[in-house]
Amino acid sequence: MSSYVITIGTVIVIYAIAACGLNVIIGYAGQVSLGHAAFVGIGAYTAALLSTKVGSSFWISLPIVLAISAIFGLLLGLPSLRVREDFLAITTIGINFIVEAIFNYVPFFGGALGIGGIPPIALFGAKLKGFAFFYLCIFFLLIVLAACWWFTRSWAGLACFALREEESAASSMGISPVRFKLLAFVVGTCMAGLSGALNAHYITFISATDFSFPFSILLLCMVVIGGMGTLWGPVLGALILGALPEIFRPIVDYRILFYTVMLLLMIRFQPGGLLGENMMVRRVLAKILPGVR
Amino acid sequence: MNQPLLEVTDLSKYFGGLKALDHVNFKVMPGEILGLIGPNGAGKTVCFNLISGVYKPTFGQILFEGQSTEGSAPHEIANNGVGRTFQIVKPFASLSVLENVLVAQGISKYNAFSKMWSAWKSKSEVSKGLKILERVGLADLAHRKAGLLPLGNLRRLEIARALLVGHKLLLLDESFSGLRHEEISRLEDLIRSIREDGITVLLIEHNMRVAMGLCDQLVVLDHGQKIAEGSPEEIQQSEKVIEAYLGRKETKDAA
Repeated sequence: MSSYVITIGTVIVIYAIAACGLNVIIGYAGQVSLGHAAFVGIGAYTAALLSTKVGSSFWISLPIVLAISAIFGLLLGLPSLRVREDFLAITTIGINFIVEAIFNYVPFFGGALGIGGIPPIALFGAKLKGFAFFYLCIFFLLIVLAACWWFTRSWAGLACFALREEESAASSMGISPVRFKLLAFVVGTCMAGLSGALNAHYITFISATDFSFPFSILLLCMVVIGGMGTLWGPVLGALILGALPEIFRPIVDYRILFYTVMLLLMIRFQPGGLLGENMMVRRVLAKILPGVR
Repeated sequence: MNQPLLEVTDLSKYFGGLKALDHVNFKVMPGEILGLIGPNGAGKTVCFNLISGVYKPTFGQILFEGQSTEGSAPHEIANNGVGRTFQIVKPFASLSVLENVLVAQGISKYNAFSKMWSAWKSKSEVSKGLKILERVGLADLAHRKAGLLPLGNLRRLEIARALLVGHKLLLLDESFSGLRHEEISRLEDLIRSIREDGITVLLIEHNMRVAMGLCDQLVVLDHGQKIAEGSPEEIQQSEKVIEAYLGRKETKDAA
């Protein structure tokens, strides 16, 4: 396989990790967040600063990245306790712009020049490149998916589903909205932080614009197209939206038009996402093979 | 002396200038079925929302088992063993009927960090959930999506959920409204059997036949104030209650 394909594949897997995190917040707990890119950015900048200024390796900075992502997830999840739905969406957009501006204007974060020269990840003394890095990302994606699966089968996950469906009924059944919304935010932002750290060490250069609002929308589209609240939906969404720009490179001028049409078709025919309930894939399969449910 | 399970003193809730509930007092004794009745807008649901912690009282006190519930959030009051249903049903629409019940069954898990990570779809939990569904007559619909059920079944689902939470006190907000005749008598039997289990029931009801037949005591509210209290027979004779429902007789030839 050419290194071009591996590069695209690696980026898709990194996207998928962040999208899985957003799925925990939106799909499981029902809290609309349009600022997820900010948390990917917080993870990326933490990893970049630790490796370039302190000189720590990826493996040592990983727990710190996760801890800092969790703390910011907790802090920036607080608005979700006060505002709901549309207002929460707007608040999280605001958070995205503020975080991006801080990265852009505070000299400590490298300003508009960003942070360069981030060393690649080393494992047993060997620097991971190409396929090796791709497999490392797959490894982390599998851990993230296992965590998501574990979450949905736990009482904590069920509590989040209940909050998503009907908050007042959930709280009348002993579910603290504060505790479980913040829990979903923390789990989701940890995954975003991991994605950011991998991204920083892979590209070896980051700047504030990498984590701007359009990236949040891209992540949201991945979750929606794949299927909110499903396990594999965000991965499928990342695969589709990560691969399409490459496939449609020849008609680059019409790319946005194509995306728009695709999103509208999704809303019309598959509002639950490709892997959501009543999915088209299953309907088609059921017609061809009557045994499939 | 028997201590009341729930005691409400001077309970008041003002929304700006509107006195939704004004200096209301009543007691609910353990094991009793107390009915809260009154015309539309009398403040019955507001009273429920105050007891279950959704609203904070403007002033006044609610004592549950002798303890003030002041400042308790709805989930904390649920943890005390108070279950409630909603006048406008609130199912977890995209979850199955069984999953709806399991959410309520998990009440003991949500407060302990170690317990909240265990699996909720275990065999013992599912069979416990099915048992409750059987009791309310929804067992054959266990795997149906809750959002697709008709109103009568949703009301029973709400009672099933509330039963799992409210092992001491059950607040039923118009659980009979919109039900067919045969559904009503089945639900009456269910509520009587709940009382036999030692659970105290406080219910809001518009259907007078049901309220009179089911309740030991009635409290009548009108425009946020308590206008009468007593056994169903006493309430039926009360001038004030008849006036609140039907209006005052002006003069003999007014009609």
